[in-house]
Amino acid sequence: MGMDPDRSKYDVIVIGGGIAGQESALNLADSGLSVLLVEKDVSIGGKMIHLSKVFPTLDCAACITTPKMSETARHPNITISTDSEIVDIEKNPDNSFSGVLIKHPRYVVENDCTGCQDCEDACPVIVDDQYQYGFVGRKAAYVPFSIANPRIATIDIENCILCGACERACAADAIDFTQKIERTGVTAGSVIIATGFNLFDPAVIERYGGGGFRNVITSMQMERQLVPTRPFNNVLRPGDGKMPDNIAYVLCTGSRDETVGNPICSQVCCMYSIKQGQLLLGSLPMADVTIYYLHIRAFGKGFEEFYQQSKGMGVEFVKGKVGTIEQKENGDLIVRYEDMREGRVKEAEHDLVVLAVGMLANPEAETLFMGGKLEIDEYGYVKQVDRLRNPAKTNIEGVFVAGTASGPMDIPDSIVSAGAAASESLSYLKRAR
Amino acid sequence: MAKVQAGFADEIKRFGAVDFSACYNCGNCTAVCPLAENDNTFPRRLLRYAVLGLEDDIQSSPEPWLCYYCGDCSETCPRQSNPGEMMMSLRRYLTSKYDWTGLSRKFYVSKAWELGAIAFISAIVILLFALFLRPTADPAGLINAEGGVKINSFVEGIEPETFVTIIEFGDWTMAAIVSFFLISNIFNMYLKIVIRNKKVKVPLRLYVKEAWNLFFHFGTQFRFSKCKDWTYWALHWLVMTGYTIMFTMIVVILPWFQTERIHPISHPQRFLGYYATFGILLAIIVWSVSRIRRTGEVHKYTHASDWIFLIMLFLTTLTGILVHFFRIGGLIYPTYYTYVIHLAILMPMLIIEVPFSKWSHIAYRPLAIYFTSLINSAAALEREEKK
Repeated sequence: MGMDPDRSKYDVIVIGGGIAGQESALNLADSGLSVLLVEKDVSIGGKMIHLSKVFPTLDCAACITTPKMSETARHPNITISTDSEIVDIEKNPDNSFSGVLIKHPRYVVENDCTGCQDCEDACPVIVDDQYQYGFVGRKAAYVPFSIANPRIATIDIENCILCGACERACAADAIDFTQKIERTGVTAGSVIIATGFNLFDPAVIERYGGGGFRNVITSMQMERQLVPTRPFNNVLRPGDGKMPDNIAYVLCTGSRDETVGNPICSQVCCMYSIKQGQLLLGSLPMADVTIYYLHIRAFGKGFEEFYQQSKGMGVEFVKGKVGTIEQKENGDLIVRYEDMREGRVKEAEHDLVVLAVGMLANPEAETLFMGGKLEIDEYGYVKQVDRLRNPAKTNIEGVFVAGTASGPMDIPDSIVSAGAAASESLSYLKRAR
Repeated sequence: MAKVQAGFADEIKRFGAVDFSACYNCGNCTAVCPLAENDNTFPRRLLRYAVLGLEDDIQSSPEPWLCYYCGDCSETCPRQSNPGEMMMSLRRYLTSKYDWTGLSRKFYVSKAWELGAIAFISAIVILLFALFLRPTADPAGLINAEGGVKINSFVEGIEPETFVTIIEFGDWTMAAIVSFFLISNIFNMYLKIVIRNKKVKVPLRLYVKEAWNLFFHFGTQFRFSKCKDWTYWALHWLVMTGYTIMFTMIVVILPWFQTERIHPISHPQRFLGYYATFGILLAIIVWSVSRIRRTGEVHKYTHASDWIFLIMLFLTTLTGILVHFFRIGGLIYPTYYTYVIHLAILMPMLIIEVPFSKWSHIAYRPLAIYFTSLINSAAALEREEKK
């Protein structure tokens, strides 16, 4: 880990350690600037590290992200603070920024833990694994996921019963229940916001089961079923462990929908559903995959070809928004939609329904700055005040936005955006000096 | 070939539709609609017709009348494009299109026309009473054995039986006017939906075979009960039965209804009257409060014609109740004057609302179901023949 002599002074603070935050941090660090990367989770990696493959190239997402995570973690100019948040950022009279870095206790001494998972074996508490989106369980003392960075244990104190089993099992003596929240003042010349997005929670849509149907899952859950580090060794429906053979995708779940307060397109759902369709035909060769869509938005390089390829492979496309989903006694689902070509209302039975959930703005960006000085756009994303000429510019000079913190976008666009934020930040610092 | 008319949306908006141009044609409305089934899909298709301005397609569609405005479509519309209110506006638009006189359109798009017409007919009724049926100056002998007012003996020199006959003649004249316009409008509707239907020809025997639809749906509004909230249907049914009873009593059997003596409360004349009054009054209260508070999609948007309808119905009911109690209370002149006002509200309400405005749905809804079943059965027959 990068060791700055002064642990409280940096050139740039990057908030968020997902793919955009890492990209910005690396660009700046490679230019010789010192960077503090603040990550609220216990590992960097963001959402991308949990994905299966990327569209339209079908490259393995983890194989792209893991090296980048290692590079970020090992870079001498980057200091990573995981399990941390930064609050009360203020612009000082000398144009520098200062804020309070809050590091939450991990109850594990980071430099001592070897990631051996003995504590995990010893821990008697089992809760839902958030990194597998609830499909399987994990312990209260656990290494978040196999390709986490840092790959060390953490203790989920909310669920911990303080039995001390992990402490006794740890050969490195790394468990420390006396850790407390640390607050440090930090300053920097510039700030990059890369706080990413939130996934839409479909439980608010009553007519899709309100989160209560056993075999209605989100696209992120399907993503987990398709990765090499997947929870089951196959694609199974969670209700009864049956291997599905008739899967439906419901596009625009929580996107382009005024009733849930998100009127805009999430830009990725069409393409990731098409991708998952192709992957499913690979893992379940006998399965039927039907995608119910409003309009297919295959707007990027190679996207249309990728869409046509999925059709060629046998993915079924039906134009029409799914109106209602009903659950049968055996866990199968009845999907009601209007078949516009035939002009009829139809019902179709599926044994697994995947809700292609969209992106929502992460409201945390709004509260980073003292007095809410950061401007937010009408959709809740960080406002790009000069989108065409300086896409990373925010309303505060010296603060830049990277990736999906500024709006829905796919991975390549996030990386481009993060690069723009890094270079704008760099030139801002050069000009300021 | 159909021609796109961009300006058509503005025409529909005159009939109340709030902005529906946001529609992106996703089909959610149709998919959540508990009433859309088989080939009769709506609202999306109709919304599409309206956006494109396909007038002929709209006019030949029975679908607007198959919709009971449960409101699920508007509630869940991802674009908040108000498909439910759009269908409501189409019903108003169609009412004006079935009407060959052009009055309906005038009443719907102009409050001045509608209120003016109401005032005009009211004035005629009052004038007729003032000229020919003035009350006697001598109230002696106007109280019956029960202590109530003899309602048919106001006019000096006119026997009670003659008085009832005169009023009955007035009722029948009104009914004739209303029926003439309504039936001719219905014929127009029939031409547009069934005869000009290019897809099928309906064989004669189906008209008989499917006729039960007309009576069943007129009597029950069964389809309305498919809405999630069944109370909409229950209240509507209460009003419908109440009004039908009232209408039958005042038009078909007036001598039985408007009697000199006051019957005991167990007499059907009284308890049927009370049932009807209760149902209508309850509905007026619930609907008015809901419209003011805008509860539920169906009450969110109120067109001027909706208020006029509710107010007229309320005034008719109120004056009817007053006449009744003034009569029982033996208040001679209040009974007479309220009775005249009652008729001066009732007459324009029926003459304007039934053939030209909101009340025409009493005929159009069951007929649309009947026509739809004709077309669908004919199409099914044709499919079988092809096999």
